[in-house]
Amino acid sequence: MNLEVRDVVKNFGGLQALNHVSLSIDKPEIVGLIGPNGAGKTTLTNIIDGVYKPTEGEVWLNNERVDKMPPYQIARRGLGRTFQVTRAFRRMTVMENMLVPALALHPGANRREVEQKAYEVLEFLTVEHLANELGRGLSGGQQKLLELGRLLMLDPQFIILDEPFAGVHPKLQEAIYSYINKAHSDGKAIILISHDMDSIFTLSERLVVLHFGAVIADGDPAKVKDDSAVIEAYLGKDEEEDEDA
Amino acid sequence: MKRSPVIWVLIIGGIAITLALPLILRDKQYWLFVATQAYFWAILASSWALLAGYAGQFSFAHIALMAIAAYFSGIVGRDLGWSPLSGIIIGTLVAGLVGLIIGLLCLRLRKTYLALFTIAFAEIVRLAINAELDFTGGPMGLYLEPLIQTTSYVPYYYLILGLLLGSLAFMYALANSRFGLFFRSIREDEEAAAAMGVNVVRYKIMAFVVTAMIAGLAGAVDHHFIGFIAPSELIIGRMSLVIAMAVIGGIESLIGATLGAIFIHFSLEWLQQIPIPAALMPRIVEFKPALENLGFALTERAIQTNAWRMVGFGILLMVTLRFWQNGLIYPIIQRLTRQEAQAETVAKRQPAPVEETAAQERSEE
Amino acid sequence: MVDITGQYMLNLLLNGLLIGVIYALMALGLTLIFSVLGIVSFAHGEFYMIGGYVVYFVLQRFTNLHPYFAVLIAGLVTFVIGFIAERLLLQPLAKGEIERPAEYAILITFGLAFFLQFLMIAIVGPFPKKAARFFDLPEISTDILVTTATTLRIFEVPLSGNRLIAAVTAAILISATIFFMAKTWLGRGLQAVSQDRQAAAVVGINPLKMNTLAFSLGTMLAGMSGAVLVAVFSWVPWVGVPASGKSFIVIVLGGMGSMPGAVLGGLILGVVESLGAGLIPDPGRALAYKDAIGLLIFALVLLIKPTGLFGRDL
Ligand SMILES: Nc1ncnc2c1ncn2[C@@H]1O[C@H](COP(=O)(O)OP(=O)(O)OP(=O)(O)O)[C@@H](O)[C@H]1O
Ligand SMILES: [Mg+2]
Repeated sequence: MNLEVRDVVKNFGGLQALNHVSLSIDKPEIVGLIGPNGAGKTTLTNIIDGVYKPTEGEVWLNNERVDKMPPYQIARRGLGRTFQVTRAFRRMTVMENMLVPALALHPGANRREVEQKAYEVLEFLTVEHLANELGRGLSGGQQKLLELGRLLMLDPQFIILDEPFAGVHPKLQEAIYSYINKAHSDGKAIILISHDMDSIFTLSERLVVLHFGAVIADGDPAKVKDDSAVIEAYLGKDEEEDEDA
Repeated sequence: MKRSPVIWVLIIGGIAITLALPLILRDKQYWLFVATQAYFWAILASSWALLAGYAGQFSFAHIALMAIAAYFSGIVGRDLGWSPLSGIIIGTLVAGLVGLIIGLLCLRLRKTYLALFTIAFAEIVRLAINAELDFTGGPMGLYLEPLIQTTSYVPYYYLILGLLLGSLAFMYALANSRFGLFFRSIREDEEAAAAMGVNVVRYKIMAFVVTAMIAGLAGAVDHHFIGFIAPSELIIGRMSLVIAMAVIGGIESLIGATLGAIFIHFSLEWLQQIPIPAALMPRIVEFKPALENLGFALTERAIQTNAWRMVGFGILLMVTLRFWQNGLIYPIIQRLTRQEAQAETVAKRQPAPVEETAAQERSEE
Repeated sequence: MVDITGQYMLNLLLNGLLIGVIYALMALGLTLIFSVLGIVSFAHGEFYMIGGYVVYFVLQRFTNLHPYFAVLIAGLVTFVIGFIAERLLLQPLAKGEIERPAEYAILITFGLAFFLQFLMIAIVGPFPKKAARFFDLPEISTDILVTTATTLRIFEVPLSGNRLIAAVTAAILISATIFFMAKTWLGRGLQAVSQDRQAAAVVGINPLKMNTLAFSLGTMLAGMSGAVLVAVFSWVPWVGVPASGKSFIVIVLGGMGSMPGAVLGGLILGVVESLGAGLIPDPGRALAYKDAIGLLIFALVLLIKPTGLFGRDL
């Protein structure tokens, strides 16, 4: 397995959101991706998943260049992501939400079997009682879980989670933790974007720090934590920001 | 999903009545004609509901696609001597092709822009038909050969009823297959659907092509029955009528839109004073002298009375949109079908140890 | 086949500009609505239609009234109808009470158009009406300019006096609108809301009230465009349908929400239509396709650059 971002630049008009970013993941690890607001984390996600086309640079997935492909093809090649602002299909039931990726990927699949599997996934996420609810009827945290559920149905090799814990009650956060651990032990590579340092340091095996669109550190979390550039650029400043807020 | 007995009684009763209608209306041929046209509108409204309500593509080109098929069929019949049947086939295919082109052009356009573009498209088609006298007969219209050699309305009644039931069955199957699921996911959120592996482009275009062909087929067949088509059928007022039918019936329900169309068409006919659809008003004025020669007394007052019913439907349309976004008919159907289905899923799908999670949920709120 | 001489071209150009001013006035109203409410009103042409009828009936009833007074009454009536429509139908949208806002905005204004159109058929009947000329032109006779009561010749190019009066009136109204937007407190408030609703709310402007005001003013401008044109064209209840179409074309050309863009777009559309129709060799076709030219440009602009020719990129 292999995901490679090669020297990617992304400009929005005059604004450079990504500044020669390179990142390579070739084993099933949990990579924490942190950086101050506006650092370019979501933009990087959108580049990898094909929503945005890079201004410069390339993205390779399992030795295939994907940065010119539409998002659905990248999804079918084994890359799944959640959205920072949840995007459940609001006027479809939770079960129907779950069926979409499964049937998109396996058109010939037996509907009953897929439904059975979806139900098991919902059980794992502790939200099976919501199967017949409409997406718009879910709370914010439940919608986050639904997005994870859809990812489990898509069953991608690479998973990007954009702020999975934000605004989620601790009880439901447990379900997200167990999701990440399960995916990890199933051999998936996970990029975890979060402002929640506790979760980042508990879960990640590798930490990447983005600052003003550039990677300023990449490596062992404990070492990155002590990196003076990182402290200056991000960790210290972030605490101040938190106090302000 | 299991349905409650009430709905079965209604379905079977409804089918029995529609099948027996030619007998019931033996002495009221005009009403049999009205019923046939109601089914034609029902095909248009339900296929538009599939496109707009399911796939989320608010196109205003539906009537234009319907008319393109009818014109094509009529023209190949007149100029190349093709039989009505082959004309209908080619007309339907052409409508599908035009639907494909619209779909391709509109891929990048969202909501309001799509509406604006398709309105412009429909108007261009209407103006072109008006202008190209040699091909289309211009404002004076085009005559079409009858599909069936008969003086009775009965064969056409069953033909168009069959067309309605056939297209409903097809669209129902489509809507309940994975395609329907993809249509709805695209309607809800294109980007999220793509991230889930849905080929957004393909299914959007599929929705355009399929509904264009259904509208085209209905248009071609119906106009070989009516025997005449004119560009005034393409005015935006007729598209409004299709939309009103679907909205009042229930835009997210094929059967709701169908019943909405039948209900509105019958009400309009029932309420009207003169046998000319009010949506054709501009044409009435255009042809006033000719119609008066034929003995139709077109007093201003008669037309005005006639217009009041449309005012009523305009109000009904706005009130429905404002207060019942799911339409007036669909919620009734839902109520009739839901109760038992829900009881069933609750019983089957909730295994014993749910107390804990339910409690968690409550504590969260 | 017509001779394409310089004078003929000038004639087409001037006539195009005259009608373009009216398009600009109408589109200014739609632009105001779009920039503040964020929606396109599909009922815009119906307000134009109503404005025309108001002038027709007012002048018929009070023959001695100054036509401009009738135009003001038309503006008032369409302002009030727009006010009511916004309160009843669009306010819930702004308050976030509607589940599918984009679809609702399209369909509800479409429903409103349908309703108003048939309401007018029911009230005034379907047969064409035409108001009398607003005023006679003063008689002038110089080398470059010759006028009679109904026509005007400038450099030998004949223009209809009626159209000229309509265009001049529209130009006055456009200037008044621009002045209002730039110099008055309310106009600035509208601009503030169109740029940033939240920020406007923070400084004490009520965005909901501004919505109502923008919609009513927008419909008033449409009504006044109809009011000045009712003496030029014959009036039927569906006269608003093509008029809506023109305003859509203009705001797309002008870049969705830009006021100078709308004025420029209106003039461009008028000229392009006039030139296009004048240069199509077959006169029958030319007449029939006159409206199609604008629509074609419109469709192309939507496809190539949906934010319009003069619009900012989103
Ligand atoms: N579609 C866009 N158009 C213009 N600018 C954009 C767009 N998307 C992102 N940006 C800009 O790019 C920069 C990076 O944004 P991005 O959303 O990637 O940040 P982030 O690291 O995810 O921040 P956060 O922690 O707040 O989620 C920001 O300055 C943002 O304003
Ligand atoms: Mg982000």
